[in-house]
Amino acid sequence: MKHILFCLLALVLGGGSLMAERGGDGAFPYDYRLETLDNGLSVIMVPMSAGGLMSYYSIVRTGARDEYEKGKSGFAHFFEHMMFRGTKNYPAELYDRMVTEMGADANAYTTDDYTAYHLSFASEDLETVVKLESDRFQFLEYEEAAFQTEAGAVYGEYRKNRSNPWSVLFEELMETAFTRHTYGHTTIGYEADIKRMPGMYEYSKEFFSRYYRPDNVVLVLVGDFNTGRALDLIRSYYADWQPGYTEPVITPEPEQTAERRVSVSYDGKTLPLMVMSYKSPAMDADDRIAVAGSMLGELLFGENSEIYRTLVLKEQKLQFIGADFGFNRDPKLWSIYAMIKNEGDIPMVRQEIDRTIARYLDAPVSAAQLDAVKKRLKYSFLMNLDTPDKVAGGLARFVALTGGIEVVDTLYAMYDRITPDDIRAAIERYLSADRRTIATLTGRN
Amino acid sequence: MKLRIALPLLSLIITGVLMTSCSRNSADQAVLLPVEDDPTISFRIWFKTGSQADPAGLEGITALTASMMMEGATEKNSYEDILTALYPMAASYGVTVDKEMTVFTGRVHSDNLHEYYPFFIDALLHPAFTEEDFTRIRTNMINGIEKSLRYSDDEELGKAAFYNFVYDGTPYGHLDAGSVSSLEAITLKDVRAFYKSWFTRDNVVIGLGGGYEDTLLTRLQTDLAQLPEGTLVQPGAPAPLPLEGRHVLLVEKECNATAISFGFPIDVLRGDDDFWALALFNSWFGEHRNSSSHLYQVIREARGMNYGDYSYIEIFPNGGRRQMAAPNHARRQQLFEVWLRPVQHVHRHFALRAAIRELQHVVDSGMTKEDFTLTQQFLDKYALHFATTTMGRLGYAIDSRFYGIDENYIALFRKKIAALTLEDVNAAIRRHLQYDNLRIAMVTSGAEEFAAQLAEDVPSPVTYDTPKPEEVLTEDREIEMYPLEIARENIRIVPVEEMFR
Repeated sequence: MKHILFCLLALVLGGGSLMAERGGDGAFPYDYRLETLDNGLSVIMVPMSAGGLMSYYSIVRTGARDEYEKGKSGFAHFFEHMMFRGTKNYPAELYDRMVTEMGADANAYTTDDYTAYHLSFASEDLETVVKLESDRFQFLEYEEAAFQTEAGAVYGEYRKNRSNPWSVLFEELMETAFTRHTYGHTTIGYEADIKRMPGMYEYSKEFFSRYYRPDNVVLVLVGDFNTGRALDLIRSYYADWQPGYTEPVITPEPEQTAERRVSVSYDGKTLPLMVMSYKSPAMDADDRIAVAGSMLGELLFGENSEIYRTLVLKEQKLQFIGADFGFNRDPKLWSIYAMIKNEGDIPMVRQEIDRTIARYLDAPVSAAQLDAVKKRLKYSFLMNLDTPDKVAGGLARFVALTGGIEVVDTLYAMYDRITPDDIRAAIERYLSADRRTIATLTGRN
Repeated sequence: MKLRIALPLLSLIITGVLMTSCSRNSADQAVLLPVEDDPTISFRIWFKTGSQADPAGLEGITALTASMMMEGATEKNSYEDILTALYPMAASYGVTVDKEMTVFTGRVHSDNLHEYYPFFIDALLHPAFTEEDFTRIRTNMINGIEKSLRYSDDEELGKAAFYNFVYDGTPYGHLDAGSVSSLEAITLKDVRAFYKSWFTRDNVVIGLGGGYEDTLLTRLQTDLAQLPEGTLVQPGAPAPLPLEGRHVLLVEKECNATAISFGFPIDVLRGDDDFWALALFNSWFGEHRNSSSHLYQVIREARGMNYGDYSYIEIFPNGGRRQMAAPNHARRQQLFEVWLRPVQHVHRHFALRAAIRELQHVVDSGMTKEDFTLTQQFLDKYALHFATTTMGRLGYAIDSRFYGIDENYIALFRKKIAALTLEDVNAAIRRHLQYDNLRIAMVTSGAEEFAAQLAEDVPSPVTYDTPKPEEVLTEDREIEMYPLEIARENIRIVPVEEMFR
């Protein structure tokens, strides 16, 4: 039986921590345990058989979205690099050495909505990991010279990405689609801002102080470990971390009322690229029509879709077509991507996408088509939960967007309830031309 | 009822339950990795052929044929119908083509096995090889070279240029995908004939893992016996020409940074006595995407010149996208490779000097006791991450079969690493590594100017936008003068448009 035990009283009284346990009889197949420390640090523990291995994710609910100050684009990502620069207790060399001694697979990444620091390691090293991670999240300290050197590595990453035309196209797309909201810049940031990073040493301390707080961080532990012992360790090492998260001042994006277009010239040869992006709702697993909307990418433009069969397989006008209708913390974009074989076909592809959308308004999706998508979502999710790292990594976005993982069950239960009428309602609500931005890129062919 | 997701057990990772079934033909000599509580089933169907078998002028035909099998119609079903059937299962199948092996992979949840299997086996046994699929897949492959490889990813372009350069004149010396002209020369008739010659029942080994039942193996063996007849004829292992001196290939391209790869072929394969010693050395010198590696510390960490700097003693495809090496790139000829991720053009000369100088230093002086001990300790547990999924471990098991390794590879790796001494490692470095005879490939702009600078060994001082410690600046003064001794006649410049033409 599914049982959720929220110790609300303890939370209200401020005398204890919030704790919940549940059995894995929802979409998420594992038992898990939740704990929130007095300082606001949330801990999600998912024990599973993993051959003596486990993964430890520290998810900071801050990403490129939170870069609201002018000239600071890309700073969340840059700061992710600085988190490896050590503390007084564990200078960078010692931190590296200890991670090396553990043979851990350790890394980090930054997205639009969050930053994740992750290690996979033998469970016997859990205490060392808790010690190291709690230390750098509380006491990060680096010299200005190290800060400036790291800015060079970030610029190197930017240059590496820049040889990909999709990166070039996305920068323009986001800038066109968003006039006010911080989603208007990409995660890596603008080149001009990256060049200025070496001069932002003082700001980096401010950034750390604002966002790297326990009330803005969630730990996710998955694998072979004892939850009681893990909690004891976490309580012991993180208890003194002071809360004080400062919310970023993010300006909401005004309602889009007319279609926007942008054309980009790429300084190299490439097949023409097109992205057609519609304004999407923020994550809300209880909003039936929003959840139905998130299925539209698969239904209308997936490998099983009519347009894929016609333009990719039969007529072979496209190298590929695909869609990303995922959720974000704030309203962002649902996008359809196409790589087109001939530049002259760009208008035709646009029309075919429009025709596809119109067709599903005229004749609702069949129950069989909808069931196929539901089944695919279910198996795709289940088949990607086969290692601690994949489980923790798969949960990271849900955690970042909602602060927990209860939403997984809610979302998959909602998928099951979606009807053809919901799909039609979602198309009406979200896929109108006045809500979209079309970005195309052509090269020097 | 609680659904259990299977996970690799430590005992399986370390000791390995690798079962071998041997009877009358290759299809029966299966590589098996049963994992009882894994709710998925993994297939790796290994054909002992790869792109080295591509006939001259038809390079890319192995990859094209294999892709048509996996991404095309069968005699029974159109490709659209196949996609429709596989879609709800979130299952698919695909293929990895390397120089000496072609491995068809598939993974499915056990709930869907009985619906999935007929499609997978049909793709192997009865590909239709239609004109429509041929046109689509061949065009995509040509676009992949002409547009994507040449213009969308300088890192992969640089590495591809390097591999072809090292193996120039051998059966390894072309892209697995072939070249633009060779792909254009291949006909559908060629593909059909190639399938019958190489994708034969005497050439196949079954790889099966996860929560399968024994009847599935029997069924596979019976079904794969229907493959075309044929006799296995493997080309000889490639014999790269001996290198003399340092040779440079500059790919001229409008770009904002220089991608650098260099190295040379080595005669050490996985399982050889010196392999383990070189693996330890390599982990210290340039463990892939690991900040503890020495090259990374010198070039990125201390100087902030790029995003990462790594080295390899086995081929490591798609390094920009992977943390651990992908299985099923086993070969009878391997190489030592250094990969510097793109550096600003003004730093290219310096970065190349810095990397070769570090190689010289370790070849001449060997590893220190401290570095040796730390790396030995690191690898003992890091090896557990090499392959954590059933599919990954099955891939490693197939590679072990290729190399004649009977034990579980990860267990053997840990055992061999633990048994090494510093003297073993330094002796292996001296036996197999050197710095005088190198192939160097770089994707860059202003190649003529750079070629002149290289040939004249002009100093390459660097300035930084940010302050650096005195010890770094002192070392810089040595690096900027480090003699590369590259003769101008050993430098070739190729416009990007001509690469893989």
